[in-house]
Amino acid sequence: MPDLIATLLISLLKAVLVVLGLLTTFAYMTLIERRLLGRMQLRPGPNRVGPMGLLQPAADAIKSIFKEDLTVTLADKLVYTLAPILAIGMALTAFGGIPAGPAGSLFGENPWVYNLDAGILALLALTSMGVYGIFLGGWASGSKYPMLGALRSSAQMISYELGMGLSILGLLMIVGTTSFQGIVGWQAQNGVLLLFQALGFALFLISSFAEVNRTPFDLPEAEQEIVAGYLTEYSAIKWALFQMAEYVNMITASAVMATLFFGGWKGPQVLNAVIPGISDWPIVWLVAKIAFFLFLFIWVRGTLPRLRYDQLMRFGWKLILPLALANTVMTAAFLAFRGTGGLWFLGVLSLAGLLALLVMSDRVRVLWNQPTVRRSEGEAVRAGGD
Amino acid sequence: MMLAFILLGALAIVGGVITIAARNAVHASLGLVGTLLCVAGLFATLNASFLAATQVIVYAGAVMVLFLFVIMLLNANQPVTSPDPVPYVRELAGIGGTLLAGAFVVLAFTYRDPRPLAESAEALRGGTAMVMGETLLTRFLLPFEAVSVLLLVAIVGSVALVQRPAAQPDGVPDELEEPLVTAREERVAAPRGAAPALMQAAQDGEVRA
Repeated sequence: MPDLIATLLISLLKAVLVVLGLLTTFAYMTLIERRLLGRMQLRPGPNRVGPMGLLQPAADAIKSIFKEDLTVTLADKLVYTLAPILAIGMALTAFGGIPAGPAGSLFGENPWVYNLDAGILALLALTSMGVYGIFLGGWASGSKYPMLGALRSSAQMISYELGMGLSILGLLMIVGTTSFQGIVGWQAQNGVLLLFQALGFALFLISSFAEVNRTPFDLPEAEQEIVAGYLTEYSAIKWALFQMAEYVNMITASAVMATLFFGGWKGPQVLNAVIPGISDWPIVWLVAKIAFFLFLFIWVRGTLPRLRYDQLMRFGWKLILPLALANTVMTAAFLAFRGTGGLWFLGVLSLAGLLALLVMSDRVRVLWNQPTVRRSEGEAVRAGGD
Repeated sequence: MMLAFILLGALAIVGGVITIAARNAVHASLGLVGTLLCVAGLFATLNASFLAATQVIVYAGAVMVLFLFVIMLLNANQPVTSPDPVPYVRELAGIGGTLLAGAFVVLAFTYRDPRPLAESAEALRGGTAMVMGETLLTRFLLPFEAVSVLLLVAIVGSVALVQRPAAQPDGVPDELEEPLVTAREERVAAPRGAAPALMQAAQDGEVRA
């Protein structure tokens, strides 16, 4: 019995540490994002509070905690309060399953909060629950624009969830396990999966951007069209909770991409020649990879314009989904018929497919830029004016 | 594990009661989400991890979101207060419910395991994706394929339902409609036809520059 209690306490401690780490990262992520966007847009960004603006997150936190917490008269009180809690709860829970090092490397404990055989499946399940936060928040606000934002976001997240799940099927078939440790171990032996699943990675990256509602897929909160989408009626700490959920989801998505396609917590094996054992250092490599992907998220936000709603839907259903299916079939066929050959040919095929898409992007773009006209001739003429 | 199982089972029942008792349709579907999550938890306590994850991804994460989507889109969250169009619907539902409950009781008392439970737990091997996939695609291949055909039929059916019907003849003679249509066609066609030419010209200009 004491053993059980000790395990429970250690798990709790780790969970609290993960939550603290994630929330601190969130706070500084907002600052880093604003500073970087400032750099990209040739302006200084927030640099007044503290040296180099480093105390800005603290100021923001104090402001949002002490601001008045408004509730709209027409709001569904229970659901209105529940929604941000649900969003942040699911976002924080999802991160706990990702391993940050080999077993027993964190002062004799395992560097993860929970370890499930279903690993990536459990994570997909938890992130798919995250949509409820946005969706219910928008509905419970009892107001037009949040409602529109909620409808948009649920349609978007359902569409891209499908592409996201399908794009990693090929990877799972190669590795043959759904646990994160298994996937990391496989990559340590055979090389990072990005080499074999370039196309799958590209699809997963795009779907991840859509899942966490970041530019160019930030339609749920498109300022120019629907005020702030589902966030419109939220203020103070509830608003901050939604923001937290968004950033924590970003961090989780980065960690998942790092774990699935870039070798996870293991560093490149070549460095072992310089400093022995450096590729097995816990936490360091995962954090570095997460940082890279977070920078990518900000970079893309500073670069790309937002998609139109119909473009978003067509992009998801007519490009991401068929390509993910094709990637799955290609990988399955290769694995079934390869005989004793190595996997490198699959990598070449995958890369060739991705390059072909990039080269042909002007031809492919028609798929989601032009509305399909499937009406009778007379109607087509009448509709031609708009 | 036993305690968690009982707790989750009780919560699933509470969710089910909320689903049928709530006046607001959104609250009712949230109750259903709770039930589905509890069922996923039950699967997890029974060591069926793959089934638990799939239950959450498919039912709680996708199907229920679509339910809510439709409820919100049609603003159908208020209860219908007009009298029931079906006569004696409550009595009929009561009889049906009693029959169903009786059937379950009979089922529960006459149930015999198709094979010893210890053996099937052995065969399940923790219910990982690999074991599930092997079982589904070898021993239960036919039912599996039958279900996928069923789903395909459902997809085709829904596509056929949302397709707009072809324009019906409206009884107006074509000669009367003709001038209007051609006039619009001209107006629309002109800029469209001109656009490529203009673009070509612009490109030429760029090349020359």
